[in-house]
Amino acid sequence: MSAVIPYHRVNVLTGIKSARLIEDAQEYADLIKKARRPLLVLGPLLLKWSLDGKLLIEYALEIAKAANIPTCATAQVRAKMAELGIKPDSFYDVVEIINALKDPNWRGVRKEGNHDLVLFFGIRSDLGEQGLSVLKHFAPHLKTMTLCKFYFPNANYSLPNFRKDEQWKAFLESLIDNLKKGE
Amino acid sequence: MAEVKEMTRKLEEIHKKIKAEIPWEPVGPTPMPEIPDLRNWDMRLLKTYAPFYAPFCDLCCFCTYGKCDLTETRRGACGIDIATQQARWVLLSCLMGCSAHAAHGGHILEFLIERYGPDKKIDLGGSINIEAPHIRTVVGLKPETLGDLVIAIEYVFKEITHLLDSTAMGQEGSYLDYESKALHAGMLDHVGMEVADIAQIVGFNYPTSVADTPLIDLGWAAVDKSKPVILFVGHNPATSTVVIDYLRENNLYDQVEVCGVCCTALETSRYSDRAKVVGPFSRQLFFIRSGIADVIMTDEQCIRTDMPIEASKAGSSLIATLDKAMYGLEDASEMDTEDIVRQMVEDKKHFAILDPRKAAEVAAKVAIVIAPQRRKEWLTEGEAKELATKCNVCGMCEQVCPNLFNIGAGIAEVAKGNFDLIREQFNLCVGCGKCEAECPRKIPIFKIMQIAASKESWKVRAGRGPIMDTEIRTVGAPITLGTIPGVVAIVGCSNFPDIRDIAEMVDEFAKRKYIVVVSGCSAMVAGMWKDADGKTVYEKYPPAFDMGGVVNVGSCVANSHITGAAIKIANIFAALPLRGNYEVMADYVLNRVGAVGVAWGAYSQKAASIATGCNRLGIPVILGPHSSKYRRLYLSRKEEDDWRVMDARKREIVDTGEPSPEHLAYVCETKEKAMVMIPKLCIRKNDTPQGRAIKLNHYISLHKKYMGGGLPEDIHLFVRRDPDIPLVYKKEVRAYLQEIGWKPKEPVGLPTLIGTYPSKVSVDAVIH
Ligand code: SF4
Ligand code: SF4
Ligand code: SF4
Repeated sequence: MSAVIPYHRVNVLTGIKSARLIEDAQEYADLIKKARRPLLVLGPLLLKWSLDGKLLIEYALEIAKAANIPTCATAQVRAKMAELGIKPDSFYDVVEIINALKDPNWRGVRKEGNHDLVLFFGIRSDLGEQGLSVLKHFAPHLKTMTLCKFYFPNANYSLPNFRKDEQWKAFLESLIDNLKKGE
Repeated sequence: MAEVKEMTRKLEEIHKKIKAEIPWEPVGPTPMPEIPDLRNWDMRLLKTYAPFYAPFCDLCCFCTYGKCDLTETRRGACGIDIATQQARWVLLSCLMGCSAHAAHGGHILEFLIERYGPDKKIDLGGSINIEAPHIRTVVGLKPETLGDLVIAIEYVFKEITHLLDSTAMGQEGSYLDYESKALHAGMLDHVGMEVADIAQIVGFNYPTSVADTPLIDLGWAAVDKSKPVILFVGHNPATSTVVIDYLRENNLYDQVEVCGVCCTALETSRYSDRAKVVGPFSRQLFFIRSGIADVIMTDEQCIRTDMPIEASKAGSSLIATLDKAMYGLEDASEMDTEDIVRQMVEDKKHFAILDPRKAAEVAAKVAIVIAPQRRKEWLTEGEAKELATKCNVCGMCEQVCPNLFNIGAGIAEVAKGNFDLIREQFNLCVGCGKCEAECPRKIPIFKIMQIAASKESWKVRAGRGPIMDTEIRTVGAPITLGTIPGVVAIVGCSNFPDIRDIAEMVDEFAKRKYIVVVSGCSAMVAGMWKDADGKTVYEKYPPAFDMGGVVNVGSCVANSHITGAAIKIANIFAALPLRGNYEVMADYVLNRVGAVGVAWGAYSQKAASIATGCNRLGIPVILGPHSSKYRRLYLSRKEEDDWRVMDARKREIVDTGEPSPEHLAYVCETKEKAMVMIPKLCIRKNDTPQGRAIKLNHYISLHKKYMGGGLPEDIHLFVRRDPDIPLVYKKEVRAYLQEIGWKPKEPVGLPTLIGTYPSKVSVDAVIH
């Protein structure tokens, strides 16, 4: 596969193992459904970014609900969730959750065993990319996936750099629909 | 047998160097420690605070076997794995940082010894007797003269060589050992910084033994551009102080404006309170491109490497004054002064001039001649709008922005005559200039941003150097008991996610009666905010090292005084001997001094080594999001890790289950999260119930403020018995503790790690 350059150039990959770029929401949904113990890590950009006036945190929570994925609220995400009347399944900051995920014997947020697929959404891309690097190298027992509108080379599965927000919005909506179909 | 003899000779050698015969304190177990000497302490720390590696690059290109791909479990041709390669990078970063400060110290010492001779006495004023806590602790020497400081710096130089050697291809093969070496480099850094700052204080007569140092004018608007302007950039005041001397001696100081960016600015304002502080590193390129400086004088560290190009573009003259950065310029140190001036004025040539007297004279003369010929006006809003119209919102600038924001959107708004967004964005901008270089339409983004650059000026308190022994006597007890909830050191460089975060943090913790200490770029930025009454944090809070005080220690090298204050608490307040006794000092600080460093905008290798030095001494450090690119953190996992300590009074090992401090090097993504981590990382096992209740009060209330109500879910780990619960939250916390089945536990009388790992130090050594 020819190299995809991440949107933010500070994240350009110096290495050979890079994420599979996926644009098809159906394929993303299938990967999520196939996972036995997925986890959705929610970052603070979800409180800042919106698509047509709808905050990204709402998309994230719909994804979590549609596929029954436990959530991990990082930074101040929990404040917004409290406002929305939703309790996250766990609270760790981003480096803490990654540190826990690294350990194959960690019991996971539902105490059912470590997660096999971790979705990251709303973490600033440089920190996110560094976190994904930790898992790429030191957590062979799990796969990572990103939902932000940029390409993350260090993930296992990543969205492309969406040129337009509408494309991203269409993807997220289709993903939610596809996940719901599986219920 | 041979081994023992060798050791004895070596020890004898060390004793000679540190003048062991002068019995100010007995010599402890590790004077002038070498790589293995504190390794057990490091390994004990690393057991609880395991290195957490985020590879920034999957490859290694250090030798001709490479490039080697180290992805996942692969090893390089030399056998190294990805974790060890990260640790090697960390050590290299720490060595770069440590070398920068040590070489700075070495240069200043040489300069001052040339001027005053090696016997010049070290006198830091009536309130400072423990003049050099790091040198006393690490080296084992009580420095009395500038010449004694040479002994300390030579020890640092020697250790750096050994450490650097270990990074060569085919050497160290364990990430833990590389970390131990990085911790060693960090510790040496604080010695090097201390040497540099003590020399400066003594040699340049900086304020010392005083808290209320002058308030210095800060900001672009503080600079009087109607005068010839000389700008200092960097960290080393050898030349800037000589420039001021020259101006004074020649009655020119009224006619010439002297200002600085980055630490030389702070240094120069300690020498003369008329010198202006322009701002942090992140404002360097902006200010240079504004063309306000007639002459730019660079010295070392945190100076832009394209300075000759930028100076020429702005029509400023450049003098490189130190060998660290000569930019390929002709060395004019031996040339005739008038000839240099002529070439600089007529031919617009830049020079390296390593003789400070000559550089000073040239700078003054050139500035006075060229200033009247140069136009120095800020851009008007109308002009900015005009320049912005070419923007077609292509987004190229956003893609290269290291702070990940879309300056193009701000430019597009300017084109519409709306300046709100760009004013907002100016607070996020780290001033790298990458956006403008990338813009296909050649839009002068920096120039346009001048509109946003506040025309306001502020105040920063001049750096005051070491914390006074008298202050340590007052605060020693309340800090170790916990009734002063903590010492928060907001320090370091300007790679901030948002520049406004710093003043907000300072204000939040000073208001809550923490002791807030600042240094370097963070000290400047702390001043760039005013409350409703128009006061900066320096005018709002007292300058004392006491509860609710805001203390600017000075430049980067003054960071050694912050860690030095922690050592002084152990030595002065707890009366533990410090000479060659690093492990005992560090153990005391880790378990009993509630201090935390916040390097929110750390970018440099120097920040990496300073932070790592704090870590070896038992001080946790919180870093901003960019710092994940340093590749390594030290994190615990609170539920799983080993929180056993020795109760030195009872002589038994106690499993406290209390993660205090929880991490040693930690990255937060947002200011909000940092606001909650700061009080948590000030908790120590030594806190009295009253102290603990005060600390938990802040932890809970900041958690409620920034995390949307509710209790921190780990609060139970920090409540030992009911009296630890703050009064205001009694009901809520009790209910929560009951719900989760919490059980009370005895506080530890005298917590220490000594006795829980193999060490030459005995438990007796920690009892005072
Ligand atoms: S130092 Fe080792 S890993 Fe690096 S290029 Fe050489 S052989 Fe490869
Ligand atoms: S790169 Fe230039 S043209 Fe493109 S958005 Fe940025 S400022 Fe506008
Ligand atoms: S100068 Fe400022 S806006 Fe431009 S790329 Fe650098 S940080 Fe971003």
